[in-house]
Amino acid sequence: MSKFIASAAIRGGQEIVKEADQLLKETLEKYGPEQKVGFANTAYYLPVIYAYTAHKVEKLGDMIQPMEQAKALLPRRMPTEKLWLPYLGETLDAGVATLFAEEIISGVRHVMGVQPEKQNGYTYNGPIDDIQLRTWGIQLVDGRMPGFAAIVGRAKTNAIAVKIVRELQQRNILIFLSGNVNGKGIVEQLLEEGVELGYDTFTVPFGSDTISAIYALGFAARSALTFGGMKPGQAKDVLLYNKNRVHAFVLALGEVDDLKYATAAGAITYGFPTIADTVIPNIMPTGITKYEHVVSMPFDDIPGNDDMERAERLIQRCIEVRGLKLQITKVPIPVSYSAAFEGERIRRGDYQVEFGGRGGVTFELLLSKKLDEVEDGKITVVGPDLDAMPVDSNQPLGVVVEVAGRKMQKDFEPVLERQIHHFVNMAEGVQHIGQRDIPWIRIHKNSVARGFRLRHFGDILYARLHADFGAIVDKVQVTLYTKQDKVRELREQARQVYNERNERAANLTDESVDTFYSCTLCQSYAPTHVCIINPERVGLCGAYNWLDCKASYEINPTGPNQPVPKGAVIDESKGEWEGSNRFTYQHSQQQVNRMTLYSLMDAPTTSCGCFECIMMIIPEANGVMILSRDDPSMSPVGMTFSTLAGMAGGGLQTPGVMGHGKFYILSKKFIPKEGGFKRVVWISSNLKEELAEGIKEVCQRIGEPDLMDKIADERVATTVEDLVAFLETKEHPALSMEPIIQ
Amino acid sequence: MPPVETPVEKWAGKIHEVNLGGDARRLVVGGETTLPFLHFEGAIPHPPAVAVEVQDRPPASWAPELRASWGEAMEDPASWAKKAVEYGADLIVLYLSSAHPDDQNTGPQEAKKTVTRVLSTVDAPLIILGPGIAEKDNEVLVAAAEAAAGRRVALGFCEQKNYRTIIAACMANNHVAVAKTPVEINLAKQLNILICDMGLAPDSILMDPTTGALGYGLEYTYSVMERLRLAGLQGDKMAAMPMFCTVGEEAWRQKEARATEGIPAAWGDIATRALRWEELTAMTLLLAGADVVVLRHPQVVQRIKATIQKLMTKE
Repeated sequence: MSKFIASAAIRGGQEIVKEADQLLKETLEKYGPEQKVGFANTAYYLPVIYAYTAHKVEKLGDMIQPMEQAKALLPRRMPTEKLWLPYLGETLDAGVATLFAEEIISGVRHVMGVQPEKQNGYTYNGPIDDIQLRTWGIQLVDGRMPGFAAIVGRAKTNAIAVKIVRELQQRNILIFLSGNVNGKGIVEQLLEEGVELGYDTFTVPFGSDTISAIYALGFAARSALTFGGMKPGQAKDVLLYNKNRVHAFVLALGEVDDLKYATAAGAITYGFPTIADTVIPNIMPTGITKYEHVVSMPFDDIPGNDDMERAERLIQRCIEVRGLKLQITKVPIPVSYSAAFEGERIRRGDYQVEFGGRGGVTFELLLSKKLDEVEDGKITVVGPDLDAMPVDSNQPLGVVVEVAGRKMQKDFEPVLERQIHHFVNMAEGVQHIGQRDIPWIRIHKNSVARGFRLRHFGDILYARLHADFGAIVDKVQVTLYTKQDKVRELREQARQVYNERNERAANLTDESVDTFYSCTLCQSYAPTHVCIINPERVGLCGAYNWLDCKASYEINPTGPNQPVPKGAVIDESKGEWEGSNRFTYQHSQQQVNRMTLYSLMDAPTTSCGCFECIMMIIPEANGVMILSRDDPSMSPVGMTFSTLAGMAGGGLQTPGVMGHGKFYILSKKFIPKEGGFKRVVWISSNLKEELAEGIKEVCQRIGEPDLMDKIADERVATTVEDLVAFLETKEHPALSMEPIIQ
Repeated sequence: MPPVETPVEKWAGKIHEVNLGGDARRLVVGGETTLPFLHFEGAIPHPPAVAVEVQDRPPASWAPELRASWGEAMEDPASWAKKAVEYGADLIVLYLSSAHPDDQNTGPQEAKKTVTRVLSTVDAPLIILGPGIAEKDNEVLVAAAEAAAGRRVALGFCEQKNYRTIIAACMANNHVAVAKTPVEINLAKQLNILICDMGLAPDSILMDPTTGALGYGLEYTYSVMERLRLAGLQGDKMAAMPMFCTVGEEAWRQKEARATEGIPAAWGDIATRALRWEELTAMTLLLAGADVVVLRHPQVVQRIKATIQKLMTKE
């Protein structure tokens, strides 16, 4: 807590409480305690006081009690030079006292008939009525409105004031306006510029002084009572509701005086941070608010070419500080965009330009950056665009996507990067294949004729990353390069990143993490099946690895991928932990008590139905066979894949038979208890070929460099007799291992 | 022969009790601590409720048999609802079908009017359903929610892709949400979690796991519902919502309930057959755990009511 802010807020609180007290006394003398008090068209009395204390103010006399409470809340002493105390509590108390005092003053003003305020022929709005509260409240609750901005003070110029309001309106953010600096406020500035204010334009001019900003907090308090199901007086719940669900912030324009500090302190109790465009102390640690409490962003120091750009950045920063999430529903490109175009193929002769493919130079790279290093929505094309390229030509292309987000992690980069393919492919007339440094892209002539340009790649990525990954991504900027030299140069840098990622993935071991992830997507047809996905073992379907699940959980915390704390180890070599057992038991309809993650013979993983491979022991060969889903031929055990799958699938746990993902074969955690890869005596030939490189490495690693050739497939053995004969000729090591069935 | 002891399961969970209706007539559904009608095992404090489907304009596509059974009442949703209550409906499902863009594309004003009229005509609790187009649903259901403030109606359908606005309207006016998911236990549960995350209480949700008619996936529906109910009784609070099934809609759109020509003689009389189709579908789903069945034919309403009454009699 800043001592400066604490002192100012407490001073401001003392002043306004005194003023309110005085005003209340005078009004009581004049009108008497029975005089009716209340804001127009609301069932919530004086809403801040009502929400905080459940006290109903219906008459002037009813204000005495909250007035006394405000006085009692005021801290007795100011922070001193000598005695340093954690004065956060005092400051917030002063803030609440300020809110009570401001609301009392507003109530008295209603009695005096000076609300809504009239000035220079303009009538301000005053408090928001209940009908409007419901209309906006529903939009705030369902997310169509990301939040509200309470702007207090005056912008540096009228043009900046207009820009700020436009930036907020564009994002559907509700705007509450009040206050002034030296007699002139933002409302006047906007009126001078002919900006239309009112409910229809999401702009509500409360009044010309700071006190009228209390209506914003009254609105917030009523939201919690209306939509949060809170009862008046449940102060803590009301405040937490606001912190977690009413995404509001205070934007202080111009000089911040004591009363503004005091009001801001009151707003902080709701979890609403303050952003100021002047030099004031920052309060950066999180706590009462979700992120920073007070952020100073002196307007003239904001980077930007002109004031308009600075205003834009200021609003960006407000959105970051409050953690607002914007909804983007439509991808703004001149061609159709839907899943129907995903598998589209564009033939030679039909495309205007081709990127990559044989001999082409392309790459796609997604990087996470710091929040202040990314300008949200910035899309740049460096080099010639589609319409400037010769028809039918092959061109270089580098796509660099930079994202930033409070919850973004470096590990999510590849997860998001892989989505580029999926996102771009959905545009009509765009064919996209491959990723990293092998993308192969074709763009149809018709699409170019309809105005499709390279920047639309950026538009697609911007919109979809926000829409689908908004939980982890706050900002997206995209740069597309089309000059040969530049693309080559950047591709080298990108390759370094890919290598680092490969190494990271290789070093990501089960021992190095304390949490695995579940996947229960398949429970729709295999109710007792639970996938536990660990870094060294992909999901059975091969579609989800540990990092994907981790990201998926961040994006969708109630979804099918949940964290599974490993807990105490039971048997490391079999891959059995207390945590994974507990999770499996709870999520398998209490059918599976134990599940080892690495063993084929002892409580193996359950099998869903969409596993890429199925592994089964062949006792006669003292080993295991691995049958691929794509292999329709007969296996040595006398069953095809589909027969075996029918036997093992559906959520069953069958010792000796197990569904698994392809890449599990290459894992260091491949059935270690049963002897590891040395046990493999038979693999479907298509799988053997597909994973040839990886399998060779595994053979090297386990000290059996010739093992690959000793493993049979359907071309040499479809019966046990043939298999055993083949293994004996080749002297397969499994034959001399200890018996697989003990 | 030695007596066989009836095996009794001890369930840890309880289905949420959902209150519907205003001061004049209240209805509670849910609250079970056992599987359907197993009175010897646990409590079934409230019988399953029978709802009658009423549309806000005469449904031209309904089978002649159905239309004949309601006659002129169908011209006006309020009279239709009144007649439904006379036939024994515990509650009314009011479909705002006219709001569909391909229908009359009516808006919030009309919705408000219809809801107000129906509510002022009958005391029975109401379940209000939109036309099934997200944008229109949100428009008309928000209006309906306001018009029905104080009468605790249910609003639907909340679906995974569109639930937030309807939930906000429920929270603002103290209504109940109907959450619909496509025949999948995890999705059903997830939607309940998402809705509760927004702040609506678990006892303000009915779930529609999506049903099929007899001969059209009924057994699959049955097993999803059974599993949801088992999960709820085992203590999973996010699966313990009372279940809501649109039986009439499903049964009456099948060939067996409509075809009069080009079918084997053994199929018999259309009237008998169509009614049985709806009745059997309803009975099966009640046995799977349905707490609210929505029916279309008045005679089926009476039959199902009678059967429920028998099944609720403890011996």
